[in-house]
Amino acid sequence: MAKQSIVPFGPQHPVLPEPVHLDLVLEDEVVVKAVPSIGFVHRGLEKLVETRDYKEYVYIAERVCGICSFGHGMGYCQCLEKIMNVEIPPRAAYLRTIWMEMSRVHSHLLWLGLLADALGFESLFMQSWKLREKILDMFDATTGGRVIFSVNCIGGVLKDMDGGMLKAIADTVDGMERELRPIAEAFLRDYTVGTRLHELGVLTAEQADAMGAVGPMLRASGVSRDTRKLGYAAYGELEFEPITARDGDSFARCEVRIRELFQSFDLIRQAIRKIPAGPIAVPVRGNPGGEHFMRIEQPRGEAVYYVKANGTKYLDRFRLRTPTTSNIPPMLELLKGCQLADVALLILTIDPCISCTER
Amino acid sequence: MEQRKHEPKTYPWRAFPFAGTVLKNLFSKPATTGYPFEPAHYPDRMRGHVEIQIENCISCGLCARSCPPGALKVDRAAGTWTIDRFDCVQCGSCVNACPKKCLTMVPGYTEPAAQKSSETFTRPQAPEVPAGKAGGRPVKGDACVYCTLCAKKCPQGAITVDRAARTWSLDAGKCVGCGLCAASCPKKCLTLQ
Repeated sequence: MAKQSIVPFGPQHPVLPEPVHLDLVLEDEVVVKAVPSIGFVHRGLEKLVETRDYKEYVYIAERVCGICSFGHGMGYCQCLEKIMNVEIPPRAAYLRTIWMEMSRVHSHLLWLGLLADALGFESLFMQSWKLREKILDMFDATTGGRVIFSVNCIGGVLKDMDGGMLKAIADTVDGMERELRPIAEAFLRDYTVGTRLHELGVLTAEQADAMGAVGPMLRASGVSRDTRKLGYAAYGELEFEPITARDGDSFARCEVRIRELFQSFDLIRQAIRKIPAGPIAVPVRGNPGGEHFMRIEQPRGEAVYYVKANGTKYLDRFRLRTPTTSNIPPMLELLKGCQLADVALLILTIDPCISCTER
Repeated sequence: MEQRKHEPKTYPWRAFPFAGTVLKNLFSKPATTGYPFEPAHYPDRMRGHVEIQIENCISCGLCARSCPPGALKVDRAAGTWTIDRFDCVQCGSCVNACPKKCLTMVPGYTEPAAQKSSETFTRPQAPEVPAGKAGGRPVKGDACVYCTLCAKKCPQGAITVDRAARTWSLDAGKCVGCGLCAASCPKKCLTLQ
């Protein structure tokens, strides 16, 4: 047996956008075991719910993350709407769906850029992020913010989109779809990208299911599970099927995210076609009492929201389980037996969001 | 070393599928703009910074209460409204809370600075309308059912309602005339005078 040595990895590493630390136990160049430690960016946002008005907390909930901020605000609002028995207008549900899918496009393009960067494919990285700018500009025009949107409120949304704005989104999405094709081609067909990703970090369907993998990580292993199929917001009225791949390797995870981008474009177009006219919010009176638990599909996977209210304007508890929290155990499994040089890439393929995880 | 089971499913003869894009970029103009030499364009809805029409402000303090980072301070006695631009997170909560709609989110970022500082606006004192009563005081009509909604809505706690004794009283010194009581009254019997 070769001598074991421990190599510290992170929290600062060129490939990691956010801090996570791993102690890698190596035998020669092969990882035998990885021991994670997190807690570098904990901000105590869940605790703040006890000292802020429940309507005000929407602005804090969406600041949990800079990428999936819309979903966090929406998940929190949906919990309180269920507790307070508020039915949001159909137009608000469609607007939430459109913004949620735009968030997914934004997140997946960001990840593709980071992947290309980790592979050393700088021009592909630049192209992915150049494309992402278009969706950020659309967010800026429709919500007033590039990454923090502040459009969710309990009972609906705060801002409406007129016909011109919806058409501008549809046109942008069409243009982006055209521009994404050569980028997708480079990721899926390029020899260099392929040799680096194929058969690296294989997670079988049984392993993914048993260890609680979520989102593209789970679907890349062939498990067809997508929380959007529960039909929250307007997803129940849109036609789509969860995107899966069979191989469960890093390439499959990349492929699922690329195909989900095209699916999101399609969902945005469907929502724009079907969006009904009407009010965008209903007034909410009184204070909430009771508790609710709900799941939504964030770009990185299933996120769980739990709210407990006590009849006053301050809530007892807000709990958020983010997709990255669930994806860390399967990631540690992937790392066993891989080469030290592949560790950075494997961590990246779960699309880690540490600031969400630590809140 | 672990050997890969079979060759990856890619096409070596397509080693440069990205070459077309690279060549196109080489002969097209940059995707970025030349800021600050070219001015930045902001969309109309952009939440850049908060502006106040101080002459319409009634110093009710609702904006300061609804501000998640606590960037706003309202002094009723002095008639001032103070914002710490470095604490403000541009969420727009104060704009939604303002009963007089005198706060707006305006496109464009505020200037960077080397030191944190706050900006104070002072309300012009109109002689005929004393401070604290800019919007008029609520006066109860006969249709009152003593439901206490007005008292619950009052941001200053200026209204006291006793359902058993059927009394309604207003502390005129505390009232800021925001009109939230009149807006919440189910019987529409409160009027601002």
